[in-house]
Order: sequence, then structure tokens, then C-alpha cells
Amino acid sequence: MRIRFWGVRGSFAMSGRDFLRYGGNTTSVELVTAAGERLLIDLGTGATELAKTLMGGEFGKGQGQLPILLSHTHLDHIQGLPFFTPFFIKGNQIRILGANPISGLSLEATLQNQLAPHYSPLNGLENLAAGVSIETIQPGAALEVPGFEIETGAVPHGSMWTTAYRITADGKTVAYLSDVEYPSYEDPLEVALSLARGADLLIHDAMHADHDYELRRGWGHSPAAAGVVVAERAGAKKLALFHHSPDATDDMIDEVVARTTARTAVPVFAAAEGSYLDV
Amino acid sequence: MQITFWGVRGSYPVPGAATVRYGGQTSCVEARSAGGDCLIVDAGTGMRALGNKLVREANAPMHHHVLLSHVHWDHIQGLPFFSPAYVPGTKISVYALLTAADELHQVIGGITRHEFFPMPLEAVPAQFEFHQVEPGVDFTLGAFHITPIALNHPFGSVGYRIDCDGSSWAYVSDTAPFTEVLHKQHFLSGVEQLSDDDRVALAAMREALVRRLAGVDTVVYDTHFLPDEYARFPHYGHSTPDQALEICAEAKVRRLVLYHHAPSHGDEQMDRIAADYLGKGAAVGIDVLTSFEGMTLPIGDEGTLI
Ligand SMILES: [Zn+2]
Ligand SMILES: [Zn+2]
Ligand SMILES: [Zn+2]
Repeated sequence: MRIRFWGVRGSFAMSGRDFLRYGGNTTSVELVTAAGERLLIDLGTGATELAKTLMGGEFGKGQGQLPILLSHTHLDHIQGLPFFTPFFIKGNQIRILGANPISGLSLEATLQNQLAPHYSPLNGLENLAAGVSIETIQPGAALEVPGFEIETGAVPHGSMWTTAYRITADGKTVAYLSDVEYPSYEDPLEVALSLARGADLLIHDAMHADHDYELRRGWGHSPAAAGVVVAERAGAKKLALFHHSPDATDDMIDEVVARTTARTAVPVFAAAEGSYLDV
Repeated sequence: MQITFWGVRGSYPVPGAATVRYGGQTSCVEARSAGGDCLIVDAGTGMRALGNKLVREANAPMHHHVLLSHVHWDHIQGLPFFSPAYVPGTKISVYALLTAADELHQVIGGITRHEFFPMPLEAVPAQFEFHQVEPGVDFTLGAFHITPIALNHPFGSVGYRIDCDGSSWAYVSDTAPFTEVLHKQHFLSGVEQLSDDDRVALAAMREALVRRLAGVDTVVYDTHFLPDEYARFPHYGHSTPDQALEICAEAKVRRLVLYHHAPSHGDEQMDRIAADYLGKGAAVGIDVLTSFEGMTLPIGDEGTLI
């Protein structure tokens, strides 16, 4: 299975020289199996970059099929939706799978709000030319997506919950735990450990450098150390620090990687936009 | 008076190597009077860096005035990331067009609803206040005299003529030209047949714009498209530099600033656009500048670019 990071930034897209190596686009990660089945996680601005690649192939001809998993509907995870060009081509079949937000609104109503006439000239999901299905999932349940076995779980994220994913394909497993803050990062929740158990790659929220975390406790994000604890306890083979803070320049991320590497035997790297990895 | 560009991109923020020089953040311009009064036009993602600067200023203003052209994401997305909003005692007054039945506080507050953002507008320390603007109905904020101007964009938008310190500039974004498409309150999947009434409405909008811009020193204009791109997407609600030049020439403005750059226009292409339109402007007596993130421009008396 090949994983490609199209957006790795949390909260806010950052442009400029200080963000060139790790990238400034907000979250979007693509998984492709050896047989060519594709899955996307999250629709941050990074998805607009992937879109350019996709449009050169079957998506440009209206023959593309794509399931998209959403961790949650905070803007940095859906910001790319109105600009994801495969939506504008008739014939493409795109599934968006995610949990209902806990506010009581459905996932579909939330995405409709994003495209409301005030905010977007698209004026609603019904104006997307592609076939789009919005599928509400129950965190904890397994999902059916061709080529991938997917387990899900709800993890705490400030005043809401996000859906974390354990995805297996070609005999390899990737766990995606972005936008999560455990009551104590020294003692991550069982749901996170079980999704990450023995994973070949753990992609984990690392919004804060460890020394910055105390000031930001309760904001819904993890220090880099949280991913280490999850990886060690769950026996994950590799850790990708993800959802970098908009304030973290390339040099600051290098430093976080160095410090994190020094404290664990698990191989650690910071997810970088445009890079891919075969697990 | 001077203006500073904090975000010059249209549609969505574009990080990466291709936007290092012109900038990747979306619409946001700061105006400063000689006396230091501050006015913010549009609240796109460029507003985050502006806010970070404002809170570090020695005499940081505690009351901010924000004029919105319209509430498409690329013009409001910076608001929840504007640091002064998290400083107790701050007041933020937002001015916008009412384009639908909903109250402004619902529309603008809606961007921070629970599903989208961790903290709702009602919970931030700053006090927010919303004012409805009407095209042609002018008002004064400190040293600035402001005239809203109706523009041609899906679900409506307004431009602003801003007079201050004996000179003037105008913000004309987002707008389509006033020829093929009249934007109304519904979705357009392509160009619709214009009725006679539509033609009359377009001509009136254009006439009012030219009249309001008459003699303005500097006009910042939505020039999202190059002519061949416009030809493919005339119903998207944006203009070309050629269409902006035509309006500016008629209004006899001194200087046109290209703005709201398409996400796909990287730095090298922007250099070519800047050079091309500098020449085309000179041919009709208009000084054409291409905005980039961080550009500060004195308005009025011929000054040098800072
Ligand atoms: Zn996030
Ligand atoms: Zn715009
Ligand atoms: Zn717009």
C-alpha cells in the first residue's frame, strides 16, 4: 500500500518560505493499494493538489471512483471540498464517509452548510456534477470500501469527537489518529491503542511541541509525545508526526523530530507534503 | 494614507514553492490613515498575519473595523484566526451586505458553528457588532469616508470607495464584468440568456461603478482571470485585468492594482502578467501594479513602494 501526504498542516494553511519543506496545506492523505484502489482521508486544502493529479486520469473523463473518509468537519479537514475538481465532472462517483457531528446536525447538513449560498457559489451539494453520496458512519463499526478493511473509533477532540481509522490493505495496516487529545497523553485511551495495535504506520496528531503543550492543554490536540506513547504501547512499527501547528516552521518541525527520535526506539518522521511511503 | 496587502489570492489559500513571492493567503487589505486609524477590508486568510501584527503594536487599536465585500469563504476564513478577537476588551465591528434573509450575525457567526470551529463567535472574548451596508449609502469611520458600491458576483458583493487624508482608493472585489452575466441569488451552471431588464441592470451597475470610481487615485480590482480563462468560466463572477483597465480608464483613475489572483497562477506566471499589464496600462495612461502579500502602497502623493 502506498501512502501519500497531500496536506499535513493543522488548523490553518500556511504559505511562504518557512513552510516549504513540510508544506502548508491542511490535512489530506491518499492511500493506494497495489491493485490501484484508492482511498482519501480528509479534504483539507491538500486535496486541491491531489485533484490536479487525479484530473489527468480517469477523474478527468468522469470515470473516477473515490471513497473519502472524514475525521471530522472542522474547517481544516473540509476546506478543500469546494475546490476538489473531481466533484465538478459528471460521471465520477465519490463517497464521503464520516460520523455525524455531536451538535445534532447530520454530516450531510453540515456539508450543505459549508456550501450554503452565503459561503460558496456552489450553493449546495446538489450542484456538484459528480455522483456524490454522503454516508454517515457509526464510530466503532467496520466499513466496506473496495480494497480496504477499515475499523473506526471515536476519540476525544476538545469539545467534540473525531473518528480515528485503522486501515488495512495488501496485508499492511495504517492507523490515522489526527485531531485527538487524550485526558492524559501519558495514558492514551484504549480505543486509540486498539486502532494502532501492531500498525505498520501510525499517523498521529502532533500539533504541539512537547514544551508548548502545557499552555495549550484542553485545546483538543496532542503534543508530539502522545504519538510516541501510543506507538510504543500499541507496538506500531513507525510513527508519522502529523497536523503540524501553523506556527511551526520547517526548522521547528526538524527540532521536534530530533527530540522525539531521541526519546523512543520507534522510527519517527514528520509527515511532509508531497512525500509518499510504501508500507 | 497607505494600504498593505495581507492576502492577495482568490478562492482558497495556496501554500508552496509557486506562491512564495506573490503570496498564498486570501483577500485581506489594511488601510492606515496618516493619523494611524486602521481599517480592514475583507477577512480572508491573510487576516491571521495581520492580527498577529496588530496585537504586537505598541498602541494596538482596541476597536477594529472590518469591511466585507461578501462572505464567500476566501473573504471571511481569517476571522476566527484574528488574534485581537481573543484579547478581552477588544471590539470588532463588521460591515457587510445583507444578501439573504438571515441576519448578519447568523451568517458570519455561522463560520464558527460547532461543526466547523472549536470556539463559537459568541464565546470569544472580543465583542462583535454587525452593520449592514447599502450600495450608495456612505458612512464615516474615523478618518475614513466610505462609499459601498454594488458589484456583479454570485449572491451579491460590494466594493468600497475609501476617501481619507485628501486622497482615495477603492476596493473592487469580487466582481464579474457587466456584459454577459448578471449574477443573482441562484446557482449558475453556465451563462444564462439575459433579459432586457438584466441588460438594464448591468448597465446601471457599471455606470454607478464608473461614477463612484471617478478620479480615485488607486483601484484594487478583482483580476482573477486571464482572458482565455474568463472565456471558459464567464459565470464564475470574476474579471480580467483587461476588463479592470477598461473601467479604470473610463473613471480616469491613476493606478490599478491587480488583485484576487487565481490559485493556479504561480509566481512566474504572475511576473508575466505583471509585465504584460504594466505595458497595457501605460498604453492607456494607467499605472498598473500587481499586488503581492506584504506590499505597502502609499495612496495619493506620489510615493515610493515600501
Ligand atoms: Zn484539524
Ligand atoms: Zn473571492
Ligand atoms: Zn466570491
